[in-house]
Amino acid sequence: MSGKMRILTSVVVIGVVAAGLGAWIIRGPGPLDFAGGTKVALADYRAGKPTGVPAKLEKASLVERGEYLAKAADCMVCHTQPGEKDYSGGLAFKLPFGTLYSTNITADKDTGIGNYSDQDFLNAVQHGKRRDGARLYPAMPYTSYTFMTDEDVLAVKAYLFSLPAVRAKAPDNTLSFPFNQRWAMIVWSAVFNPDTRFAPDTSKSPEWNRGAYLAEALAHCGECHTPRNLGFALDNRRKFAGAITAGWRAFNISSDKATGLGSWSDQNLISYLSLGHAPGHGSASGPMGEAVDHSFSQFAPEDIRSIVAYLRSVPPVPSPDLPATTAPIAPASHKEGVTADARGKMLFAGACASCHGWSGESPVSPMATLTGTWAVNDPAATNVAQIVISGTKRHTPDGALSMPAFGNAYTDDEIAAVANYVTARFGTKGSKLTAKDVAELRKQTAE
Amino acid sequence: MHMAIVLTINGETKSFDAPPDMPLLWALRDILGMTGTKFGCGIAQCGACTVHVDGKAVRSCVLPVSAVANRTVTTIEHVGSTPAGAKVQKAWLEAEVIQCGYCQSGQIMAAAALLAATPNPDDSDIDAAMAGNICRCGTYVRIREAIKQAANGRQS
Repeated sequence: MSGKMRILTSVVVIGVVAAGLGAWIIRGPGPLDFAGGTKVALADYRAGKPTGVPAKLEKASLVERGEYLAKAADCMVCHTQPGEKDYSGGLAFKLPFGTLYSTNITADKDTGIGNYSDQDFLNAVQHGKRRDGARLYPAMPYTSYTFMTDEDVLAVKAYLFSLPAVRAKAPDNTLSFPFNQRWAMIVWSAVFNPDTRFAPDTSKSPEWNRGAYLAEALAHCGECHTPRNLGFALDNRRKFAGAITAGWRAFNISSDKATGLGSWSDQNLISYLSLGHAPGHGSASGPMGEAVDHSFSQFAPEDIRSIVAYLRSVPPVPSPDLPATTAPIAPASHKEGVTADARGKMLFAGACASCHGWSGESPVSPMATLTGTWAVNDPAATNVAQIVISGTKRHTPDGALSMPAFGNAYTDDEIAAVANYVTARFGTKGSKLTAKDVAELRKQTAE
Repeated sequence: MHMAIVLTINGETKSFDAPPDMPLLWALRDILGMTGTKFGCGIAQCGACTVHVDGKAVRSCVLPVSAVANRTVTTIEHVGSTPAGAKVQKAWLEAEVIQCGYCQSGQIMAAAALLAATPNPDDSDIDAAMAGNICRCGTYVRIREAIKQAANGRQS
């Protein structure tokens, strides 16, 4: 080997090692590494059954079990465009580098997954590999679904194949270079997909293990609530510390007392997950509202309790930009309290006060109470602006409550003004949104 | 799915079957035949459907009927029997507030709730309480005047 060649070889070797080391450092721990206990193969776990369906469905048909699991994995929300047939795809994910469209996962042979064998389906869900060999983008949370058992994945397939096949072709993705290079996902996957099935932790309770399986393999909480690293994969060093997803802020759900779930009661967590509302904590809207409507509200009560037990064990990670306590109730009179933004106040008086009240405590329903919610206590006002833009519809055991979407009725400037007023009056620190910020938020929402 | 609903409206107990998510406004108008409360926009943005729930002005078009069980509902048919409502109705007639009238039951309900909570409202109080009640005839000037008359108990 000549001197030159030797130098070149060393440079390449050093480069590869550095890249590998870099990837290793960026990758960080896996989603369940924080638990630190003794993991055993599922087959060797005797204390309980963390996978599959709850006891009441144990004897149900494959399709019924698959339905429960498909809802627990919340497949439908992403694979259905509003107003179109269930699971027929086409929902747009607007990313900084282009738009991705979800695929049709009905059993249509041409435009859906009708030709998928069991192995093809496992490859897609657990490994991010399409039937034609192409790689999936990680908008499909296969790095979470990879923890599902083969049995559970195939039950989901049986359910999807039991539904009417819908002929619907999703629009082509519009990603820019280099993100349009699907082959690069081979490398991404190799680094970031743990590609391993769920392994129970014998040092934890059976309830915790069930919760871990539900939260990590199925509900994929981390996909929205865990910040992402340089490689756009989940940064589990800050597991559940909160992140922005689809233009909405998914708040901190670690066990941090001040800014996470540490001070929520079990009853409030159960209520928030199963009804989308907890007294004093507000109501789920945006992507979490959808997760409640289509997924968590369908969970068996014992499964919700398992998730709560699991969430409690996630180490606290503070959100430094959030206040240590949420603001108390605002004065009943419009004259008292913070009224910095005169334009925002005018808009609030006309469009918001009749339901939300001047105190923030709704005269209509506790679900519309602003006091105590993170949305109004977030100095970035992200979710306040988003809910003003797109509105919400909350389902309660007694019926639905809704807030209209003001996105088409008000300008970016007006939405910024009302968000700044609302966060100043009902939160701890008023936001400073500009029209440009609101325009940016509009662009990010999935549709 | 229908369910048995029991409401206290204008001091009387009313029982009827309705879907729990039916807006209170529909129950008032279509089931109980109390058509004084009007439908305007259906999204709590015009104020025409305003009623009182526990004395506070709320928009009945977005309020599920199941959410008002165990709460006291007052409508335009009965507001004249409350002290603030009586004053408002009298002032409304004296100031000839009404033009086409469609929004006025909502305006009167909002004004009565305002006066019950704030007996001597200034202009900013009136703005804060009445901004969500829209009048396409533009009777706003007379509304403001009538609220002040009702508060003072005399013509200003």
